[in-house]
Amino acid sequence: MIRGHQLVGATLAATIALTFSSAAFAQEKTFKIYGFGAKSGVVGIFGQQSEVAMQAAAAMINKAGGVTLGDGSKAKLVVEYLDDRCTAEEGINALRRIAAQNDAVVAIGPTCSNVAEPVFGVLQKKVGDASDSGLQFPLYTDVAAKGGLAAMSQWAFRNVPSEANMYKSIFEWVKTTRPELQTFWGGVEKDFAHSNATFNVIKTQAGNTGLQVLGQSEWLLNDINFSNQVREMKRANADLVAISAHPFTTCGVLKEMARQNVKPKMLIGLTSSSSMETLQGCAAQAEGLIIPTSFAPVTDEARNAAAAVQALNSKYNMDLHNAAAFENIFTLKELIEKQKIMGRPDTVQADRQKMRDGLAAMKQTTGLLGKVGRTEDREAIKPFLFVQAKGGNWTVAHTPAQ
Amino acid sequence: MDLLYFLDLSQSIIDGVLFGAIYSLIGIGFTLIFGVMHKINLSYAAASIGAAYLSLLVVSAVPAPLVYVAAAIMGGVLGWLVYLICFRFLPLDNPLASLMSTVGMLLAIEELISHVTRGMPLNFPALFASTNIELGQFFIRGDLLFVFVLGCVAMVALMQLLKRTRLGLATRAVAQQPVAAQLCGMSVNATNASTFVIAGLLGGTAGAMAGAAIGVLSPLMTLPLTVKGLVVTVIGGLGSIPGAIVAGLIVGGVENLFQFLRGVSERDIYVMLMLFVFLVFRPGGLFAAPGGRD
Amino acid sequence: MDFYLGLAQVIGIHTLLGLSAWCVLHTGQVSIAQGGFFAIGAYVAGMLTSMWGWPLGLALLTGAILSGVVAVAVGFPALRIKGLMLVVATTAFAEIVRLVFFNLTWRVQTPQGLVGPDGSLGFGGIRYFPGNGWTTLEVNFLIWFLVVVVMLFLGWLDRSRVGTLWRAVGEDELAAQSAGINLTAAKVSAFGVGGCIAGLAGGVFAHYATHIEHNNFGILLATFAIAYPIIGGLSSLAGTLLAVIFIQGVLLEGLRFLGDWRSLLFGALIVVVMLVRPSGFLRRSLGESLGRTRHA
Repeated sequence: MIRGHQLVGATLAATIALTFSSAAFAQEKTFKIYGFGAKSGVVGIFGQQSEVAMQAAAAMINKAGGVTLGDGSKAKLVVEYLDDRCTAEEGINALRRIAAQNDAVVAIGPTCSNVAEPVFGVLQKKVGDASDSGLQFPLYTDVAAKGGLAAMSQWAFRNVPSEANMYKSIFEWVKTTRPELQTFWGGVEKDFAHSNATFNVIKTQAGNTGLQVLGQSEWLLNDINFSNQVREMKRANADLVAISAHPFTTCGVLKEMARQNVKPKMLIGLTSSSSMETLQGCAAQAEGLIIPTSFAPVTDEARNAAAAVQALNSKYNMDLHNAAAFENIFTLKELIEKQKIMGRPDTVQADRQKMRDGLAAMKQTTGLLGKVGRTEDREAIKPFLFVQAKGGNWTVAHTPAQ
Repeated sequence: MDLLYFLDLSQSIIDGVLFGAIYSLIGIGFTLIFGVMHKINLSYAAASIGAAYLSLLVVSAVPAPLVYVAAAIMGGVLGWLVYLICFRFLPLDNPLASLMSTVGMLLAIEELISHVTRGMPLNFPALFASTNIELGQFFIRGDLLFVFVLGCVAMVALMQLLKRTRLGLATRAVAQQPVAAQLCGMSVNATNASTFVIAGLLGGTAGAMAGAAIGVLSPLMTLPLTVKGLVVTVIGGLGSIPGAIVAGLIVGGVENLFQFLRGVSERDIYVMLMLFVFLVFRPGGLFAAPGGRD
Repeated sequence: MDFYLGLAQVIGIHTLLGLSAWCVLHTGQVSIAQGGFFAIGAYVAGMLTSMWGWPLGLALLTGAILSGVVAVAVGFPALRIKGLMLVVATTAFAEIVRLVFFNLTWRVQTPQGLVGPDGSLGFGGIRYFPGNGWTTLEVNFLIWFLVVVVMLFLGWLDRSRVGTLWRAVGEDELAAQSAGINLTAAKVSAFGVGGCIAGLAGGVFAHYATHIEHNNFGILLATFAIAYPIIGGLSSLAGTLLAVIFIQGVLLEGLRFLGDWRSLLFGALIVVVMLVRPSGFLRRSLGESLGRTRHA
């Protein structure tokens, strides 16, 4: 039987060992960029992939000489990523922990929209408002995509695709290339903020292009029985079916559709489901599913980035989520140099302010698929394309004019 | 309210009842352990899904039915492990401690699954996936019917085991009077362990059937199955195996019925309210177990 | 420093949650409903300050009282049920509360725009603390002031006749009833007090997080709530505090250096703690450990 004090002793020893081992590597000048998001749990893959993408980008920059700080010296970029397990409390804790470090100037994250909302809420709302005791720390989000969040605080910036733009574009494309499709039926995962919010966007855009919205089927994030919902779908017999759900329930619904012989003329999915998870779960049933996405290896930069990630750790690949994290590291490197960030413990608060001002002043950033525009309320206008599931892979279906 | 509406309503109920067979299997496992040890094993559904995941190790080597057998066997092994870790060494008169340790086990199993599979939903082989029996206007899913039949077979087999074998005798004896049973030479630990193994075999099958019915496995399935399993156990009567079967079908049917009538956002409210009604008017459950404590 | 203060806030809120479960567990009832009362307190207090500009103290009090009232209402049917059935019934109640908030959409126009719960999209904009310039230190004072008040109250309750009644019912219901103790009063009062405290904790949580949604108040939270007193030791209030510090401070934050393994070890360590000390960290109350004997 393990004694209590033996356990404590072992933990203490391990902590000391790890502290000393990491201190041993701090030889050359470094600049740390923090990240936080879900690294464990059901959505743990997102955070893990973001971390690897950030490290790959940092490695590329370091190989080219590193980043030039405000005093002219060069430093190597170092990435540290904290796990928030996709919960609000841990997200706030992680942010506070990062903000308490005197080498933390900016952080990339969070992964989950339900963490982003509370985290942005604890930031200072308006810069310079002395009566607002919110945190004064710039965040540059890579994954959390629920609409309109960056408007919550002048310290929050995002590099996520605008779902309104993407779905508007995809339905317009459907209208021009498939004018015979007249009716629309939707499927939505009701209890997850992101899929629910995006579905409203999807439904609106579908209606705007003239599709007749016949109705929608609803289910919950961990439902396992979709027979009712698919039967409603079957009765409606719509030409186009759009499913706003994450891979688990998307696969469940697609399999049920196969079982009940429901074959719409076109299937459109949710942006975040355009990843390997959907194909791992139901490649056969997902055949033909079209999804708008902000990443596909169609440009040299995109291919190089994807290769860099794979080279760093072959378990991981690049998808739309961690592509943003990759882009963010390069953007931040440019800002560090442009804003002459010093990176010293005594200049930390000034550096954060400079970083925030730099992020706010950006009119455009460089993305892996082309130039990324910036909006007034700190969101991104990302180039996008439509991918289709074919034979167990995501292939490019169409690249709309941006 | 036309014919189509009533057809769909009836089909909903039929689908729900057939799906409830999965809840029944999980409920049998919960009620078996409770009936014998008077303790709750909250990690049961998680271990069942875990067993289904483990059976995927052999999926490329063997045909689908053997995968389910593998899941059952893995379930038995996991059941024994859970007994060893969470129940064997804890004092019998401290139900809270074993409750907490099964909670810890539930969290650990769920995390392990997420960690190993990196959260990706995994394809699970389906049996009779395209078999749909048509009865007039109604469709009956072949695979759910198979699960239902399996549940009935499991119930009969368990009842026979409990009534006619020495193990069953020992199980009932230990459940009623552990001290007296020990005096008669029965090993309490061995008997309890075998109960967990048997429950585990059932659980592994349930996990595999759940996976087969949906077509994919995901760690997201563990918590709802745990809650539904507990609801089924209570409605059916603690310790009663036929009760768990009937209750599972009822819960499945009611769930789908309310989903049809009121939509998915309110569905579970009604299922939980139904539970309350049962607890107020029939706290012993449908088939109150004879003689047992609590 | 700010980080540790933030952590202290989380520990404080969870201590209140644990104390609410302590009350109910003390009378021998295992209730998974504390998460539901936490949710009620969170939404009510959040709505009052952000939608109608109520002062914080009044909002927190109202949230706590409302949760207490609901708890008493739940406590009465709980009398008929024991053991596993109570666990399931309280789980069902907590799920119903969560689903009610999942469906609740009620927004009003305020100077900050449209504010209020928006169904499954959650309830954001509860910016009382940052909006009114509260520093992390000040928020901590508030939270720990509440924790101390609640602990003193419960400690007083424990030493009074009510505490004796609770403990008697917790030890052996039949004996207590034979001794003429009113089971109804004891159990319902425990539920009510527990519900009040959970509601208070929830109200503070809503303001700490600035955004709440139904997923925050699931079964996992309720499981944590009963885990704290069980791991801390049921006869001791300080044990609950210790358990919260252990789980939130050591396991969740302290083990960050373990990376992915932290989540894996979390469940495993709970199992280990139960194996090593099944009656919880502190077996006797702090007062007893300090030499004072308990008068029955």
